[in-house]
Amino acid sequence: MAGLLLSSTEKVFIVHGVQEDFRSDGRSNIDYRPMELETDVVSHASGSARLRLANTDILVGIKTEIDTPKPDKPDMGKIEFFVDCSANATPEFEGRGGENLASSISNTMQRAYHSSQAFDLKQLCIVEGKQCWKLYVDILILECGGNLFDAVSLATKAALFNTRIPLVKALLMDGGNVDLQLSDDPYDFKFLDVGSAPLLVTLCKIGEKCVVDPSAEEESCSVISLIVGITGNSKSYCADKGASNLSDVDIKCSTISMNGPGSLAPKTLKNAIHQGIIAAKVLDDSLGQALLRERRENINSMKSSYGFLK
Amino acid sequence: MPLDFRRFNGPEDSVSYKIYTKDYLKTYDEQLKDLYDENGKRKDGRELNEARSMCMFFARTDMVSQAKGSAYVELRKTKVVCSVFDPREIPHQNEFRQLGQLYCEVKFAPFSCPRKRRPYVPDVEEKALSVALRQALEPAVCRHFFPNYQIDVLIYILEHDGSCLAAAINAAGLALANAAVPMFDIITSCSVAVIGNKMFIDPTEIEEHIAKNSTEVNHGIITMSVLSQLKQISDFTQIGSMDVECVTKVMEVLLKECEIIVPNIQRILVVDVVKNFELKKHLEAETKKREEILKKKMDEWRSLLNGQ
Repeated sequence: MAGLLLSSTEKVFIVHGVQEDFRSDGRSNIDYRPMELETDVVSHASGSARLRLANTDILVGIKTEIDTPKPDKPDMGKIEFFVDCSANATPEFEGRGGENLASSISNTMQRAYHSSQAFDLKQLCIVEGKQCWKLYVDILILECGGNLFDAVSLATKAALFNTRIPLVKALLMDGGNVDLQLSDDPYDFKFLDVGSAPLLVTLCKIGEKCVVDPSAEEESCSVISLIVGITGNSKSYCADKGASNLSDVDIKCSTISMNGPGSLAPKTLKNAIHQGIIAAKVLDDSLGQALLRERRENINSMKSSYGFLK
Repeated sequence: MPLDFRRFNGPEDSVSYKIYTKDYLKTYDEQLKDLYDENGKRKDGRELNEARSMCMFFARTDMVSQAKGSAYVELRKTKVVCSVFDPREIPHQNEFRQLGQLYCEVKFAPFSCPRKRRPYVPDVEEKALSVALRQALEPAVCRHFFPNYQIDVLIYILEHDGSCLAAAINAAGLALANAAVPMFDIITSCSVAVIGNKMFIDPTEIEEHIAKNSTEVNHGIITMSVLSQLKQISDFTQIGSMDVECVTKVMEVLLKECEIIVPNIQRILVVDVVKNFELKKHLEAETKKREEILKKKMDEWRSLLNGQ
């Protein structure tokens, strides 16, 4: 993807390693690379997050605006995804080079968040039929190290978890026109319910096996990869003590798509979907724990902010 | 919405008149009841598991005379035209590529959709369909036969009544075969809408709309395209929210449906080849006749010249 040149011997090495469930960096086929996540890095955005997944670096900023709801969905807010492949990542992204990749990622995210069971847009409604919140999710790709879809979905979920929606203090209805008054207090806000937001898992078919979280070298050895969007488990994102007594929500697929010039046999597709679900469950749990820990530290003012300094 | 400033655009805040009709105020349950009656038959008389490619299907090749290959597919109300052009050099390219490229473009006619007018500028949905079409066709075409060139596959949707991507992929497969582009296998495609525990095979536009916006436990649309002889899935797209068992069940159903369409496509291609042979024979007979007439005239003039 990013101007990599691998000799055919190196490709054979990678393929043989994957068949033995032993990748070039020592991981197994279902292991993720180490990640670093920090939320609230951009002060002007309503919510933000930065994720580093080995060499992949993603920055997500969320802006909230007040908008009129669609006429056929009067009680639902709106969410829109924009992806910018920065030319910093690779010179191929200069000008309009990264446009195809950017539109592919934003389309997949839009499809994943479409269902109300993935992200409930009703929580963004202010006055039915007149005013609603619109979330602009801006995703910036700072560095391309393989596995962009997963990193983007993780960073987006973290940024949405971090998003603060101002509370509406007063509403004046003036013959059809609505005049809103929002609270002046910066600490007067509500958080969004993002427990069930989907996470994308990319399964890259190398040889006969599918690997999770492919590095850039592994991606250049494969002709087809499957992207599965799995809805999250709200239980892991609930800070209440009684949360563990809540029943486990069934895992749902919110989007499935294929990426690459190759094709898949039906059996491989089925196995890959099951593999993706296992990976997504673990990923969702860990992300929930990390985000809850960060929020606790933030409230107790124990959090030391690193931003881009580390 | 990006506006095309070279054309006259309607006022920006105009909405479709349909939101003021009685149909619009129906609740979700009423809309669902409308879709199928007590006997399990859908609005257009089909069964839940009956695809339009079996009963309301029309397809032909050689639709566009200017294109190298073309096809027209009609699934009752969904009408799709596809044109394929000769390989040409890839514009704006610096490096040499070992495999040929496919340039796919899907366009809706402005009057094709029931809910709103489509603008001339390609919007997000059209771009997404173009990407999906390319994803489906790439494994089927023998790209090593035209390195460093690109083949244009252009789809124009004249009327949208559901299953647009499936119809477009079927049309593109036919058009590529008509254009004599070497392919590994015949590509066929089908889609399914899931609402609750009901599976609507080859959904119409209303069924698709309800499936996408439903709040049931399992809802959504799956489109799949298959190379049936090679038993390979070339594209699988799902939107909505479904559990794994539902996805697996739908995949089995779609595999069967895509295989059923193949004899139809084969028949159309054979009819096309036979027609071309007949035309060639007819043209050769005509040529012979005219050569005879010309020879007679030449002999006449020669005899006149010699007689002088």
